[in-house]
Amino acid sequence: MDDRRWFGSRRRWALDDLDRDIREHIEQEVQDNIERGMAAEEARRQAMLAFGNVTLIKEDTRRVWVWAWLDEARQDLRYAARTLRKSGAFAIAAAATLSLVIAANTTMFSVLHAVLFRPLPYRTPEQLAMLWTEDPTQNLREGRSALWNVEQWRSQAQSVNDLGVFDAMSTTMTESDGTERINGASMSPNLLPLLGVEPIRGRSFSTDEVDQRRQSEVLISHAFWQAHFGGSTDAVGATLVLNGVSSQIVGVLPAGFRIATLAADVWMPRTLSGGRARPAGPEPETWFVVARLRPGFTFAQAQAEMTAIAVRLNDHMPAAERKRGITVVPLTLHVVGSESRQALWMLAAAVLCVFLIAAANVASLSLARSVARAREMAVRVALGASAGRIVRQLLTESMLLATVSGLIGILLAAAGIRLVHAFGPANLARLNEATLDVRALGSAVAISLLAGVLVGLAPAMTTLRRDPRLSAEEGGRSVMGGAAARRIRSALVVAEFALAIIVLVAAGLLVRSWWQVKSIDPGFETDRVLMMELSSPATFNIAAQRIDLYQRALERIRAVPGVESAGIIGDIFIGNSREQVITIEGNDGTAPERLRLTRDEVSADFFKTLGTPLLRGRFFSIADGPDAPQVAIINEVMARRAWPMRDPVGKRFKLGPRDSDRPWYTVVGVVGDMHRQGLEREPIAQAFESLSQASPRSVDLFIRTTSDDPLTIAAAVRAAVRQVDKDVAIYGVAPLEERFGFYLAQRWFQTILLTGFAIVALLISTVGIYGLIQYSIATRTQEIGLRIAIGAQAGDILRMIISEGLRLTLIGLAVGLVGAWWLARAGSSLLFGVTGTDPLTFIGVSLLLTLVAAAACYFPARRAMRVDPIVALRVT
Amino acid sequence: MSTKRERDRIELLQGTLDLLILRTLRLGPAHGHAIAKAIEHGSDRVLAVEQGSLYPALHRLIKRGWISFDDGTSENNRRAKFYCLTAKGRKQLEIETSKWDRLAHAIGRILRPAPQE
Repeated sequence: MDDRRWFGSRRRWALDDLDRDIREHIEQEVQDNIERGMAAEEARRQAMLAFGNVTLIKEDTRRVWVWAWLDEARQDLRYAARTLRKSGAFAIAAAATLSLVIAANTTMFSVLHAVLFRPLPYRTPEQLAMLWTEDPTQNLREGRSALWNVEQWRSQAQSVNDLGVFDAMSTTMTESDGTERINGASMSPNLLPLLGVEPIRGRSFSTDEVDQRRQSEVLISHAFWQAHFGGSTDAVGATLVLNGVSSQIVGVLPAGFRIATLAADVWMPRTLSGGRARPAGPEPETWFVVARLRPGFTFAQAQAEMTAIAVRLNDHMPAAERKRGITVVPLTLHVVGSESRQALWMLAAAVLCVFLIAAANVASLSLARSVARAREMAVRVALGASAGRIVRQLLTESMLLATVSGLIGILLAAAGIRLVHAFGPANLARLNEATLDVRALGSAVAISLLAGVLVGLAPAMTTLRRDPRLSAEEGGRSVMGGAAARRIRSALVVAEFALAIIVLVAAGLLVRSWWQVKSIDPGFETDRVLMMELSSPATFNIAAQRIDLYQRALERIRAVPGVESAGIIGDIFIGNSREQVITIEGNDGTAPERLRLTRDEVSADFFKTLGTPLLRGRFFSIADGPDAPQVAIINEVMARRAWPMRDPVGKRFKLGPRDSDRPWYTVVGVVGDMHRQGLEREPIAQAFESLSQASPRSVDLFIRTTSDDPLTIAAAVRAAVRQVDKDVAIYGVAPLEERFGFYLAQRWFQTILLTGFAIVALLISTVGIYGLIQYSIATRTQEIGLRIAIGAQAGDILRMIISEGLRLTLIGLAVGLVGAWWLARAGSSLLFGVTGTDPLTFIGVSLLLTLVAAAACYFPARRAMRVDPIVALRVT
Repeated sequence: MSTKRERDRIELLQGTLDLLILRTLRLGPAHGHAIAKAIEHGSDRVLAVEQGSLYPALHRLIKRGWISFDDGTSENNRRAKFYCLTAKGRKQLEIETSKWDRLAHAIGRILRPAPQE
């Protein structure tokens, strides 16, 4: 180290006086020459000749030192900075374009990394899988499984090390100041060890204690720990009253802990006890199942084994249920589904396309500049610069440009990631964990370097091929260099259009899909409806108390000014829909015994409030009270499935098997299907019972208002409910439109982003062709003048220019459409209601692109028409 | 300076300039111009040195530690660098000289083979 410093200083010392020494050397030579009798002027000339090229010698001398190249780089850099500063408009436009696309790519990379690349936070996550019950007769692909089945799988499967189950659980927590609803979930006690997750405080559920004690153990999330205990160690051992039962906190889970996509405030144990006999009827409870494969087993092997097990187990099943299978899905694929993966890859590809288009454009611009600078280059070559040196100079310029753009790009990417957090779809797992970390910065550096090379390469290559002396003799007009540059620029424009059309087609298909989705009738009207969730006080253990509470709350709310009507449903959102065992009276075999069915409790005015049409029969009425016969309203899907080709009104069904003691329901009405799982999914069978006959602990409340902004009456409604009972927990207050927007969020996100990218791609490539045509006209002014002089009409010139532009556009279009067709087929699962080869989209975007390109050519062409032949020809 | 003389000049072989500089400096410290002159005169004006090319060579020698330099005053009474041989350079000069001798001898043998005996 010391040696090096000394070395460095010696070098500086030696070089410091180089100028002075050389001057002195020449002076002495002049002196000698004068003494030899030469005239002063001749003496100096001879001295200079004898010495040689001073600049070159100085450079050679510097190069002697090891660090010479650094010196040159510094020189290049200083020169590049000066050149870029001088060419203000070009530098600003180029840096702005590049920094934007670098930012977009960096943001996209950090999203891809967070969502797709990062391994899940479990021990050897590549061995983890979700196991699902599948039933093709029910169109059920990924269904939950009953505990008895899970135990069978666990005892029979060789490929599986262990199995655990989990599920969300509706949970309320009672504290001194009231009851609130929290996110609760339960898991089998072996699940944490299976995943390889340790609590950060306390311990996991014990696996060898008696069931009784285990029921009252609870693990809390890191966020809950911070919010309720301020991160204090006292939390372990404290008691929580959950669902009215007091439970002891045994441990705190790591920050961000979730099983697959399920996060919860509190986790309760659910025992998997081996050796139980198959319950007489189908079990009502079903669970999510996670498996850890034994090392060395692949998912395919596990799938094969599970399929065989499913066949064996089906022998124990009733005849109607012998089609069941087991699906093995790698956990990573479950957490971020293939559709989200595809969407992300598609967006990433689009961003990369936009980047390439932008880089091509900047390259094209700098190519035009390099032609204009041919004279400068020629002079530098004449002064002794080697070709390599000039190429290095040009690359230094583009690298400097790329570096500045990269730095700005990183700042913009930080903002971009924030935007993604704010506006990204909430249901895309792990999206919020995207950060500008070392890897993202690395990707920014890489993409910036790529930009630097791409932008600098074309000018550097034409410089190498051009004979610089020729340019100097031509006074720098450099017709030859111009032609080569124009060819490369034409190729760049073609490439830009090809890439742009791909992004445009993708965006077009997504926009069409969006319209298709939006045109679906959800089966209810979301506008002007306010939604909130209510939890009845924990002390309301008798159904009648809750029925009374809900009825009085509805009455009060209806009296609030601005309220048109109000209704209640148990839970409007259908999560993972489950199958239910159902008995249909007089089932002659045409109706199934199991149905994917959701069952909800609704108040009399629920359908009226949401605007869901009644197709047959009647709505619930006051008469359908607690003591009246049990009645039900069903939707069209259920009517079709349970009573095919018959009128269901007046028919009876009950949940559970034939011999269950559950009540029979008489169907009194049929309502239209409601897309409660999102517009893109087919509605499933839905049955509704009267809120007066079944009262859940918590419900969703809907208020149709007269105001376009339903939130304005939120306070009044809240007050009305509090008047009925101050202990009612109210939460999740939002316009229904907003709550349902959740289902469309991801589609909206990808559509709007891709459309944005497509517009940017179109704009940049338009600027590209505009610049090229402008440039082409500038270099052909004489030719155009000559043409006009020998009789070409203005229209001929216009046609000539525009056809030149359109030729490039159409070549790009043809290449791009092939790529787009191929890509659209690959990503067709992202589409809805349109095919990947939708002719309307392909033709539409092609026309759009051609028109825009024609317009971009038209304006410079109009100027070309007005070329004065005399002026043009005189220049020669 | 006759033109004939100019024409008879010989381009310096790659690397021999270093040797000539070392040899020149053995006589004592000198500044750049003096070294150039010494080489020219010493070779009876046969060797052509583009005087400037002296400087990269000088710096190369400094870098290798064969010569060092000091500030001094030139004949014109101006400040200039005076280069001088280091101990290492002195040893190097011997090596280079013997190398050169062998080279010259070898080339000479090929160009003018000794008469057969």
